[in-house]
Amino acid sequence: MQSSPGPGAPHRGSWGPLVTRKSVMRSGLAALLVAPFTASSLAAGRGQESGGSDAESSDVAEGRGATDEEIVLGVSAAFSGPSRGLGTELYRGAMAYFNNVNENGGIEGRRVSLKLYDDGYQPDPCVQNTMRLMLEDKVFLLFGYVGTPTVTRVLPILKKFQDENIFLFFPFTGAQPQREPPYGEFAFNLRASYNQETAGLVDNLVQIGRRRIAVFYQIDAYGRSGWAGVRAALASHGERLAGEATYSRGEKFTGSMRKQVEILQGVSPDAVICIGAYAACAAFARDAVDFGLDVPIANLSFVGSENLLKLLTEGQDDAERYTRQLINSQVVPSYEDTSIPAVQEYRDLMTRYDPQVPADLMQEEYAPFPYSFGSLEGFLNAKLMGEILRRLGPNPDRAGLEEAVFSIEDFDLGISERVSFGPDRRQGLQSVYHTVVEDGRFVPLDDWGARFG
Amino acid sequence: MRIRRLFKWTRFGIFAVFGLIVLSTSILCIYTVDTELSAEYEVNTQNIAKTIADSSAGILLNQNLATLQSLVDQFLEVQGIRYIYITSETGEFLAHTFVPGIPEEILESEHSNTAPVERSLPGMGDFIEVGSPILAGVAGTVHVGMDLDVVALKIQRAIGQQVYLISVMLVLGVLASIWFVNLAAKPLGELLAYAVELAKDGEKDELGERELLTRDDEVGHLARLFLHVSRQGAGRGLPTSVSGTE
Repeated sequence: MQSSPGPGAPHRGSWGPLVTRKSVMRSGLAALLVAPFTASSLAAGRGQESGGSDAESSDVAEGRGATDEEIVLGVSAAFSGPSRGLGTELYRGAMAYFNNVNENGGIEGRRVSLKLYDDGYQPDPCVQNTMRLMLEDKVFLLFGYVGTPTVTRVLPILKKFQDENIFLFFPFTGAQPQREPPYGEFAFNLRASYNQETAGLVDNLVQIGRRRIAVFYQIDAYGRSGWAGVRAALASHGERLAGEATYSRGEKFTGSMRKQVEILQGVSPDAVICIGAYAACAAFARDAVDFGLDVPIANLSFVGSENLLKLLTEGQDDAERYTRQLINSQVVPSYEDTSIPAVQEYRDLMTRYDPQVPADLMQEEYAPFPYSFGSLEGFLNAKLMGEILRRLGPNPDRAGLEEAVFSIEDFDLGISERVSFGPDRRQGLQSVYHTVVEDGRFVPLDDWGARFG
Repeated sequence: MRIRRLFKWTRFGIFAVFGLIVLSTSILCIYTVDTELSAEYEVNTQNIAKTIADSSAGILLNQNLATLQSLVDQFLEVQGIRYIYITSETGEFLAHTFVPGIPEEILESEHSNTAPVERSLPGMGDFIEVGSPILAGVAGTVHVGMDLDVVALKIQRAIGQQVYLISVMLVLGVLASIWFVNLAAKPLGELLAYAVELAKDGEKDELGERELLTRDDEVGHLARLFLHVSRQGAGRGLPTSVSGTE
């Protein structure tokens, strides 16, 4: 089981010459100009040109998006840039599961493979990758996308091609746009939403008397989604945001967050909730400590906890000062808790396969973690995806995807919470977990009052 | 001998006329470009604000703020647009593009105002901000800030190109006029020199054989007339070629 790089090669970071903007825009424009019904025939023509077999071409012409040998899932995620750890970890977890499935005969005899493209956590490349996955690669479905600003921009494409029954499964974002009209019907989510994560943080902070809550957020759709969640949660307690500071997407750990710290110091918050990626949030946590903002700093699951921790502790003599105020919410249980069957399975398969992102996608150095919340989420995503593909039966067809998903009821993923889907329930899990750093690793936070009261 | 004094004022006049043309054209051009481009940028900014306002009504009513932010972010890619913010009908900021935070001046401004205002934001620059109401203002207001430095740069560039073209035309025009003046001055200079020679040595035979006398223009006629007058004064008959002057 190998992931498949794109035809020619996948996009690398800055959307280089491999997939030219013009060529993708041309194909995108063509697709938008002709009716969705004709898209598959156009794609079939290109398939023949790129050397695809007759069998493959006919499959595409039929709009199945799967051959007798293989089901291809399309992925656009961050494998480059400051957030590359998110895409990498999610992919590794998913591949640990799919490698095992493929080694054991696949699903109805079909291998499951991922067609990967790098979007660098940037919306425009993500849109272009999606068009390519749908029109040129003719993938069966979209899977494991990373990020709110990226996914938010892709959703209208799914609506445009709704007659093709292209769905996005289990994106690594808890934002609302893919959970609500008008685009909610084109995506299926496994993880809890940012609204649930922020509500969990706010409720607990308010409960221990920390009512003046400020927000540090990424100034894009992701940040706004979390900001809105915090605002709504505070409103339910009769409170308002104490203050806010922002940063631009793509900020590195080496950047200074002093101005943001000073802005928030000006409103004297009791706690700060960060809605960002690990590099910027780590920089903020560092500067908050360095410039005297000594309050609990909470992060959402998207932050990439292990990467955040690594940045804050690597090479630090007194790392504890930077991490003792951290609270990280998670949407999967701790990967340290081997009493959970799915966690044990995940650890076994991660150890056995140790999946790596294809070298041609990894243009920047990244040392993956043996286990992480991100890869565990990827693993659970893949496990549920596998179950859905199994329920499609021997002749998988996109048209049957929704029905297969809705047949998931009280499904045991191997964690304590069971998964159900339905027309009005397009999110599988609802649980949020809270963790703090102790002895250089994230452990469950059981007593908020004792730690932060 | 060169004719200088005779054309001094002519040259001066040409410079003056061309300079006046260039100056007035440049002033008119600067005024027109500045006025038109400034107005166009302002209208464009207003259109962008209105587009966002029209697009965001449904999104706002659904309280889908992530999508609203995504919409705002896309318009930030338009050249010259430096900030966008959307306030609710109560003045709460629902989406914006400020980093590291919302400037004090904007926090304290009247958010329902949609008339263009010029702002100078510390650390950011000078802007013209226009607003557009969402659902006639009952759902909030969109504000778009256009960077005046970018606008000024665009205007300066446009004006610079026009003035450059006019200046090149001025230089070419002046050079051409000098060339034409010199073209006229050269035979006059020769005529003057000839007249001086006639005055000194009017009796020399070779003075009646000059090429100047064969010219079929006013200079030729004058040369022949000078020779005739000179020789008449000396008691000689007129050369046959002088008849053309009578």
